[in-house]
Amino acid sequence: MKGARAWMAVLAATLLLAPLLAERGTLNDLWNVAFAVVLASAWNLLGGFAGQISLGYSAFVGIGAYTTVLLADAGWNPWLTLPVAAALAVLFSVVVGLPTFRLRGPYFSIATIGVGEAVRVIASGMEFTGGSSGLRMPSADFHFLSNYYGMAVLALLTVGVMAYVRGQAFGLALSAIRQDIDAAEALGIPSTRYKLLAHALSAALVGTAGGLFAMNFQYISPGSVFDFRLSLSIVLMPIVGGIGTLVGPVLGAVLFSYLQIKLLASPTLRDSYLFIYGGLLMLVMLFEPHGMVGLWERLVQLGRRAGRPVAGAPRGG
Amino acid sequence: MERLASVLLSSVLSAGLYATMAYGLAVIYGVMRIINLAHAGLMMLAAYVTLALNTRFGLDPFLSLLVVAPLFFCFGVLLDLTLIRRLPQGGNAPSMQSLLLLFGLWLVLQNLAYVVWGGDTQAILTPYTMSSVPLLGERYGVPLLLVFGVSVLSLLGLNFMLRRSFLGRAIRAVTQNRDAALLSGVNAARISAVAFGLGTAFAAIAGTMLSTLYAFTPDFGRSFLLKAFCIIVLGGLESFTGVAIGALVLALIENLMAAYTSIPTSFQDAISFSLLVLVLVVAPTGLPALFRSFSRRAVAR
Repeated sequence: MKGARAWMAVLAATLLLAPLLAERGTLNDLWNVAFAVVLASAWNLLGGFAGQISLGYSAFVGIGAYTTVLLADAGWNPWLTLPVAAALAVLFSVVVGLPTFRLRGPYFSIATIGVGEAVRVIASGMEFTGGSSGLRMPSADFHFLSNYYGMAVLALLTVGVMAYVRGQAFGLALSAIRQDIDAAEALGIPSTRYKLLAHALSAALVGTAGGLFAMNFQYISPGSVFDFRLSLSIVLMPIVGGIGTLVGPVLGAVLFSYLQIKLLASPTLRDSYLFIYGGLLMLVMLFEPHGMVGLWERLVQLGRRAGRPVAGAPRGG
Repeated sequence: MERLASVLLSSVLSAGLYATMAYGLAVIYGVMRIINLAHAGLMMLAAYVTLALNTRFGLDPFLSLLVVAPLFFCFGVLLDLTLIRRLPQGGNAPSMQSLLLLFGLWLVLQNLAYVVWGGDTQAILTPYTMSSVPLLGERYGVPLLLVFGVSVLSLLGLNFMLRRSFLGRAIRAVTQNRDAALLSGVNAARISAVAFGLGTAFAAIAGTMLSTLYAFTPDFGRSFLLKAFCIIVLGGLESFTGVAIGALVLALIENLMAAYTSIPTSFQDAISFSLLVLVLVVAPTGLPALFRSFSRRAVAR
């Protein structure tokens, strides 16, 4: 795991020292990277470590964002709304998790699409959420640099929590649940409780990120924070990067933010992001289920074997 | 009373379309144990192909089914041969890998539609799109009635095929007990290809019919995918009659809600999505199994 630690140090240094060197535009891009890192790494706790693929994570981003905007409009300091945003996301994760964690594998995934869509439809139809036209933050308090540091610190915190959890009994129990839930139960692991706990922890992180998103963008609507495409990116980043690993979601987040910046800048590619996302997902599923991390490990193996002649392509474990 | 009758009639009419839409998912699930998330993308693609045939050659959408359904059958077989066959096979539970692969395919299809047809909302207009017929004191659009007729015909045709032909019997055999079917000499690879083709063709039939009723964009089909999934879960996931029952139940719930409660129509979809979660959790084996276990308990007493 020495490699992972070095990677994390690079990430921390880049995010924290960038404001000294970089311009506003670059910082904006880095803010996006940090946001993506939070979403991907937090999703990975439930989807990667515990193997429960949820396709409805935009609900947590949306709940966090709406909480922050609604409370800020009521006169709260935006920073103080973040714990409330996290708490409501946790509450929702438990309400959704209690019934859906009885389902396994793909059935759970389909149910989460249903939950995410239902939340979006309801948010677009409600009065207090501003309907489909959305809500605006009170315009007085906007400091980009503090927003930037807020997201950067949250990203590092998320990755740190994941690194910590992985070594704990909790992390090992999650990985047992992923490998064989019946065997895990037989060994005395209360699988539903652990899944709920993982769901709640990642929901808290994602909900906070949603609040910070609202603070930085100043304007939210069901189309931006409850969008199915957001759920989609949240799932794709860790899968393309390397599901269940520590570095994978970060790599995926960096790749996807880079792609997004490039795609938005080019009018011809703007609409083809679905092709790139979908194509990447299909390639990963067909050829390398462990994503970029798996690819890297194969290359390293290939390098080690370079002394000997290799017949055909090596098959990675 | 009259109102109830018209609600029932509307339910039956939409149930036909729902059943066609859901059967494509059910046959693929039954034979291959794969949840076809690309179903929505295939429906959307069929709607656009119908549109292209309509604008380019002036072909009536319902007649174009004769082209679209075989075309998509071949497309489905091709997808199975090039993509799905590469995944690790076997196991009685659907794999996450196949779900995500088909999810990727859905995104690629969506993008294809964006590139070819752009993101604007499209609709197919025919001379009879706006005409309607009075039935039981309400007026029903001609396309809706035609859609119902085509649905019933295609489902009857399918049922005939499943019961009478060797291929159909092989499909049912693999669905009921894969291992036993393989032991009695059924070629699983060929049946899988046919099943995927059949599922794709039914997605296409549903897509074409949806295109005569609704306007569409490349993002079209997601809510219908969820409804279809809700139906096959209600129907117990694999049986032909189960799909029909599930479709009728969902259509009834939707129409009754719309007629007798004040829930705004914008929340309609939220109802079927929540119903999906509810059914998955409460009755994961479907309504037929639930009835069977009730009646068994009643007999035991």
